[in-house]
Amino acid sequence: MSSVLVFLEIKNREISRISWEAMAAGHQLAASLGVPVDLAVVANRDNPLLQTIHGKVPRTVYAIDDPLLHDYTADGYTTACAQLIEHAKPTYVVFPHTYQVRDFAPRLATRFQQTLISDVTGIEAGPAFTRQLLQGKLNASYHHSGSEVCFLSIQAGAFRADAAEAGSTAVEPFLPKLDATQIRTKPGEPFRASAQTVDLTSAPILVSVGRGIKEEANLPLVQELATALSAELAASRPICDAGWLPMERQVGSSGQTVAPKLYLAIGISGAIQHLVGMKGSQCVVAINKDENAPIFEVADYGIVGDLFEVVPALTTAVRKVKS
Amino acid sequence: MYVSTFLSLPSYGAFLVSPIVPADPGTFSIIEKVLLAVLIMLSVVLFWLRFGVVLDKILKSRRDPSFRLTHLGKRAWDFFSEVICQSKVIRQRPLPGLAHAFVFWAFLAFALVTTNHVATGFGLDLLGSRNRSGWVSIAFSDVYFGLAGLFAVACAISIAGLFVRRFFARPTWLARPDHELSYESGVIAGLIFALMATYLASLYVGSGPWAHGLWWAHTLCLLVFLPLVPHTKHLHLVLSPFTIFFSRGSFSAIPPLEGDEDFGLVAGKDLTQLVTLQAYSCVECGRCTEHCPANNTGKILNPKEVVLGLRSYLNDLGPASEEPLLGKYNSQEAVFECTTCGACEFQCPVGIEHLPIIVGLRRGATNTGAWEDDYGGKLFNALERNSNALGMSALERDKFVQKQELPIFDGSQEYCLWLGCMGGYDPRGREIISSFVEVMRHLGATFGVLRKEKCTGDPARRLGNDLVFQQLAEANLEALQQQKVKKIVSICPHCVRTIQEDWKEFGLPPEVEHHSEFLARHRAELPQSNSNEKVVFHDPCYLGRYRNVYDEPRSIASLAGSLVEAERSRERSFCCGAGGGLAFLGEEQGERVSHNRAQQLVATGATTIGAACPFCNTMFRDALAASGDNSPRLLDIAQIAANQIKAAQPAQVAASEN
Amino acid sequence: MKIIVAIKQVPERDARIRIDSGNKWIDLEDVEFSMNESDAYALEEALQLKEAHGGEVIVVSAGPERAGKTIREALAKGADRAIHLQSSDETELAAYDALGVARLLAASIQDEKADLVLTGLQSDDLGLGQTGVILAELLGLPHASLILKIEVAGNGLKVLRELEDGWFQHIELATPAVLTIQSGNTKLRYATLMGIKKAKTKEVRVIAVADLVASDPSLKPTAPSVVLDQVKLPHKQRSTQLLGGSPAEAAAALVEKLQFEVRVI
Repeated sequence: MSSVLVFLEIKNREISRISWEAMAAGHQLAASLGVPVDLAVVANRDNPLLQTIHGKVPRTVYAIDDPLLHDYTADGYTTACAQLIEHAKPTYVVFPHTYQVRDFAPRLATRFQQTLISDVTGIEAGPAFTRQLLQGKLNASYHHSGSEVCFLSIQAGAFRADAAEAGSTAVEPFLPKLDATQIRTKPGEPFRASAQTVDLTSAPILVSVGRGIKEEANLPLVQELATALSAELAASRPICDAGWLPMERQVGSSGQTVAPKLYLAIGISGAIQHLVGMKGSQCVVAINKDENAPIFEVADYGIVGDLFEVVPALTTAVRKVKS
Repeated sequence: MYVSTFLSLPSYGAFLVSPIVPADPGTFSIIEKVLLAVLIMLSVVLFWLRFGVVLDKILKSRRDPSFRLTHLGKRAWDFFSEVICQSKVIRQRPLPGLAHAFVFWAFLAFALVTTNHVATGFGLDLLGSRNRSGWVSIAFSDVYFGLAGLFAVACAISIAGLFVRRFFARPTWLARPDHELSYESGVIAGLIFALMATYLASLYVGSGPWAHGLWWAHTLCLLVFLPLVPHTKHLHLVLSPFTIFFSRGSFSAIPPLEGDEDFGLVAGKDLTQLVTLQAYSCVECGRCTEHCPANNTGKILNPKEVVLGLRSYLNDLGPASEEPLLGKYNSQEAVFECTTCGACEFQCPVGIEHLPIIVGLRRGATNTGAWEDDYGGKLFNALERNSNALGMSALERDKFVQKQELPIFDGSQEYCLWLGCMGGYDPRGREIISSFVEVMRHLGATFGVLRKEKCTGDPARRLGNDLVFQQLAEANLEALQQQKVKKIVSICPHCVRTIQEDWKEFGLPPEVEHHSEFLARHRAELPQSNSNEKVVFHDPCYLGRYRNVYDEPRSIASLAGSLVEAERSRERSFCCGAGGGLAFLGEEQGERVSHNRAQQLVATGATTIGAACPFCNTMFRDALAASGDNSPRLLDIAQIAANQIKAAQPAQVAASEN
Repeated sequence: MKIIVAIKQVPERDARIRIDSGNKWIDLEDVEFSMNESDAYALEEALQLKEAHGGEVIVVSAGPERAGKTIREALAKGADRAIHLQSSDETELAAYDALGVARLLAASIQDEKADLVLTGLQSDDLGLGQTGVILAELLGLPHASLILKIEVAGNGLKVLRELEDGWFQHIELATPAVLTIQSGNTKLRYATLMGIKKAKTKEVRVIAVADLVASDPSLKPTAPSVVLDQVKLPHKQRSTQLLGGSPAEAAAALVEKLQFEVRVI
């Protein structure tokens, strides 16, 4: 019988948010096709996390369990998932688009002579799958042809995770047949880059300060905001020139080129030397007194105002949300 | 001025007590004559032993395939001005320059004196200094020897003065790489002084043993002097007239690469005859070093040592060597510190063309991939991928063009307004464009911008990346041709220079002018301010030295008030530090050139700094920001003109500022 | 070490986007092309490995004639030879999905028996991010993706893999293997005049897609499983949203955006 099978991913001892979003996408798809949803997680059947599954109630939760799956390997996951798919025979297999999924799902799809429709941002009637081309400059709509199983991965944030509904879920252990020789890679322990040196290029959030800060004594104001956001502190050239912050924190043509998820430019007017160093940022927020400051040209969000009022307010607001 | 002095000298001669002739040394024995002949031969052989080697190195260097001996009139004029009249020597250092000129002119005057002197030793009387008869000999003995005496006095005083300067005042730019004094210069100065002194003495003693002795003293000085010339920097006596005559003909003339094996100056085999001739012509005066912005701000680059490095290379390895030029003899780091401001080449009194050498060495390093620099690599990749030096998306330029409602060039307009990387992407450069557009509209000039424009390739050109430069130049030339552009106007002197001169290698560029030239033509239609504000104008290197445009931007800058001049201005202007691709190469060693220059401008007490190049503008903006809040206003001349237009239309001021 | 690098020529990142008349792709007139960014990093890794350990770097690229320019660029940077899997026009390869194209690539490199196959992480145009991983499966080789650094260790490799949120991990695997390379970890060399001139004499083997398919009917694009129906321009253009109100109001509005739209809190 046809079904939608959603793979969930456990990360940092919980089922990741993007997995819930993929599950929501799976439910939407299943509803339009009138088929049930099954879930699959690589976990022991007694794993208490399986009891935390929320949202709409799935038909079955497969707990894929094997000692060889304790550490992620593309070979292990591909083989195990392939066996589950052979067993459950879904029509659609839905993944969250994570680094792990990107690593093995194309391989898995190939085993079924299929191509994964990766990074899906929307599901329309048909079903038609929307994904972005040319770095988001174009939306494309795809469909799957033939009666074979179809593989999808869902982009983070594209679907809203569902609210929990009451119901009971059957957890069914699935024990794949794995052999150690099938696993050809040896993964090492994950680690974080050493925090000894400042590495602006790998920081996901940067709070960057410019001449608008006026005096060195005012820097703690911005530092507090950076701490609240778990961000690295960066600066434009005049600040580092003055010696208020070390040169390695300078962003711009003579400093670092950065591309964080969020770049918060405080009191930075946006000279070209600075812009070329941060233009790759995914989201730019500018706080500046001068509404004509060029930084607003590249900002996604802007606050025109006195940074000495806005920054403390922002710090307070961030702390409130985080606590 | 010196020309007229020179020509009027014979009239002074008429006042001299005539006849003034060197004392008759008497007769020479056969032994003396043989000895003289042997000594002359020895001296000539010693001269040739070294000079022959140098000549051989020059002649065995690669030929300059692009060199053409054309523009003979200009060459003759340059020769007359720079060699005969010593114009460059005097202009940049008037007092020592004049002293040098007197030594030189005395040498010219002594050409005949010396010939006559030597002939006397063999019993000949060429100029009739002994037996005065006939109008030739009377004219010579009455005027010429006396005139030579005057030059001898001037020369003796000058050489003594130069000696004191070198050995006691010791200006830093005369220092040699090892910081030792040049004792050979002392010996040469002594010999020149002795030559003059013995000649002058011979004018005053009567014939007899004293005269005979003086004759021998003068002769010995001469015969020691001759072989010293090729062994010391005084080789310039012989070579520099040729160097000046055989110049490439224009400022910073970068020769096209020839064939598939030419990547610039990689090894000795790439040194051309002109480069070798120039390397041996260097007189080590240090004018290039004195004016070099990099050297003045603590960089290791010293243009004099770049040239001397090539000379040492040639001395040790010769012009056929495969050994890299950058390494032991010249430092790659130094060569890439050059802003290509051209002060060195402009100052050089012996005709050395530093820019083709420095850019040539960069080409050798970049075209072969030997230059590894994070910022340089990023710049080249940005130029290749994004076609602009800043690595911005072309969509950003489109947005600006749309927002400013700039018309697209379609052939119906007179001018193609070239935005350039700075005008198209840099927020400050865009402000300059907006102001210039306002002025053009006010003047009723028709213009359009290209739909798609790539960097002119200036930074790639100056950093020696011929691949990227060629790609950009060719693509732009094609686009301009397609749109049938006849005239380009640009706010950037770098774009103007590169379009007009450097693109010629790949096609015929349209006519191009800098906005200062355009604005100066319409000066009369622009409102003049009555304020007595002090305005200082900074000459961009690529507008001044490269294009010889000094007065046009000043005429626009003066719209805002009264002009004052910085200590270094016009052709002696000091670089802002951005040229030669350095604006994109990250942090400099030592003091920032831009800060140094900004201080020079602030020191004039001006309340407005007038700029005419978006690179200078951005460099000074940073430098002034660092210097405090009371710094002068920094405005491009287009902004000055636009402000005047606004001020003259008070009704619209409120509207435009809201 | 014999290394194959699969590179793709893609529209320049800042190309103007206009949809073509068939609504299936963008109008390619006036569009300029360049080497896919992460492929450029893959090539750089390969060249560095060759410089350190010796061997040969072969680039392979599927695309119409215009892809030849990108191939020459790779040769100019130091690749030793190239295989150009040439499509007759802009549309021939559009009949294949990612698996179909990977099959063609696999068929064209199979006989090389390379020790290492590198690809970029994903293409800048289609962005599927799969070619390398599919190739590994088709060639029966182990793989690792999102690789930042490659070290030779014993008989195999030790590679650095990027995980999410600033985490990394080392992976050891034996050769032959396939790796997909993440952008940005190393400095790209620039193409030089000397390189371009040397590249003129290097071998580029051109294989027509039609010829390859004729030799192996299983490569035929009878029915791709994934079909692109149409493309559309996204509605929202990037523009600055100014957040007004008192400092506290503006701050609250910003935090909400950061939480729910940018999702960084």
